[in-house]
Amino acid sequence: MKKEFDHGTAADVSREDLDAVMTSLEPDQLSFEKAKHHCPRRKLTGVEMLLFWALRIYLVFMFGVVIYQVWTGAR
Amino acid sequence: MLWLLIGPGVLVMLGENDGPSMLSYAATGARFGIGFFLPFVVLTFCMACVVQEMTVRLGAATHRGHAELIFDRFGPFWGWFSMADLMVGNFLTLVTEFIAIRAGLGFFGVRPAVAVLGALCVLFVALMTHRYWTWERITLGAAMFNLVFVPVALLSHPHWGAVSRALFTWKPLPGGLNQETVLILLADIGATVTPWMLFFQQSAIADKGLTTRDIRFGRFDTVLGAALATLAAAATILATAPLFTHHMTAANFEAAEFAQALQPFVGRWGSALFALGIFEAGMVAAVTISTSSAYAFGEVARRPHSLNLPFKQGKSFYLVLLAEAAAAAGLVLIPGIPLVYIVLLVNVIAVLAMPPALLFLYMLVNDREIMGELVSPIWANMLALGVVIVLIGAGLLFGVSVIAPNALAALGGR
Repeated sequence: MKKEFDHGTAADVSREDLDAVMTSLEPDQLSFEKAKHHCPRRKLTGVEMLLFWALRIYLVFMFGVVIYQVWTGAR
Repeated sequence: MLWLLIGPGVLVMLGENDGPSMLSYAATGARFGIGFFLPFVVLTFCMACVVQEMTVRLGAATHRGHAELIFDRFGPFWGWFSMADLMVGNFLTLVTEFIAIRAGLGFFGVRPAVAVLGALCVLFVALMTHRYWTWERITLGAAMFNLVFVPVALLSHPHWGAVSRALFTWKPLPGGLNQETVLILLADIGATVTPWMLFFQQSAIADKGLTTRDIRFGRFDTVLGAALATLAAAATILATAPLFTHHMTAANFEAAEFAQALQPFVGRWGSALFALGIFEAGMVAAVTISTSSAYAFGEVARRPHSLNLPFKQGKSFYLVLLAEAAAAAGLVLIPGIPLVYIVLLVNVIAVLAMPPALLFLYMLVNDREIMGELVSPIWANMLALGVVIVLIGAGLLFGVSVIAPNALAALGGR
């Protein structure tokens, strides 16, 4: 039977070839896995919104406290 | 198989034992000894395990980085908020990493500019591997150097009876609650649980390609990392504890001064190892934290973001990473910066920024639509809730200590 392709031996495959294969393969594999797991946007409930905003206000307030401490420390 | 799959957990935990963290532990041992803080640090790493385990499941189940998932699920408004928290926190932390690099090498007489530029070159070389696997192994090898604090602790000849008593009896907070102890308490919490860890571990798990079948390895990786990091943190507290027992004033110590002050107790080699450890902690964290920012930026800006990409394809990823590191490095060269104060404050900011980040994580990991059967069981949710309560409580305590320090007396302080 006629051999259609000459695949060569393992030793014929250069490091550069392997690198090229890996570089093109890995992002594709990642996007394939991601595509299988769809993560659509969800609507937040009232309680969740309240929690998000409460913690956001807490963060802003506490940053103010840190700035106040730096200011008093500098004085 | 285990060797192939460990990485993100060990890296994130040892990466979090960064310059500011090690300096916080050093300040802790020198100012307060081991009685209260040795078991406290073990507790904070248990909290870190609870939090990071959630990112393992989330990364393996969704194959998405944390920032990308917040954008996809909650929309750009909340996505940009969390992104801004991360970027500000990461930048401030990066500044302190370069402070640690500068201080650690300063012990050996290296000039600040040379130390900082050298560190930037190391960061650049680590990135040029263009392969997540190679990058991870190099960084993992460097991170293991964090354990250098163990021989320093042994050289300080700790009293093992006192160490085991401290671990099992948990002595009260020395000096009670006051501004200084609250600052150290928060700095030690911020030394183990911070927002960048969530973003980094989840993105690294997605980049590494871990799947739901690998979750148990991811959990083992996380616990192993926490155990190693606890060992290094406890060793640092033990190493500087002689300064406390010999009543040496350590309130105004800078990093290199810790190493110099330790010389009578641990010898020249011990001090040199301590300074090297501080340098290494800053160096490894500079690599992991800048990578965490670049991952998050790539995820939300929908740009290619992987350590597997050649520079041309991942230009924005690498440029964000290097630009952030270079800006932080530049700031450190400003003369006359109060190093330890900045370091402690940055750890405090990390604690304050954690509850909003944890709320996103909590909601995502309990989202059956994306997690399926991998949603958190009730016990995991109870533990996570406990961590949030501790963090908010610590933040409020800090607020009280700053705004109304006298009110701490009502809480048993002085």
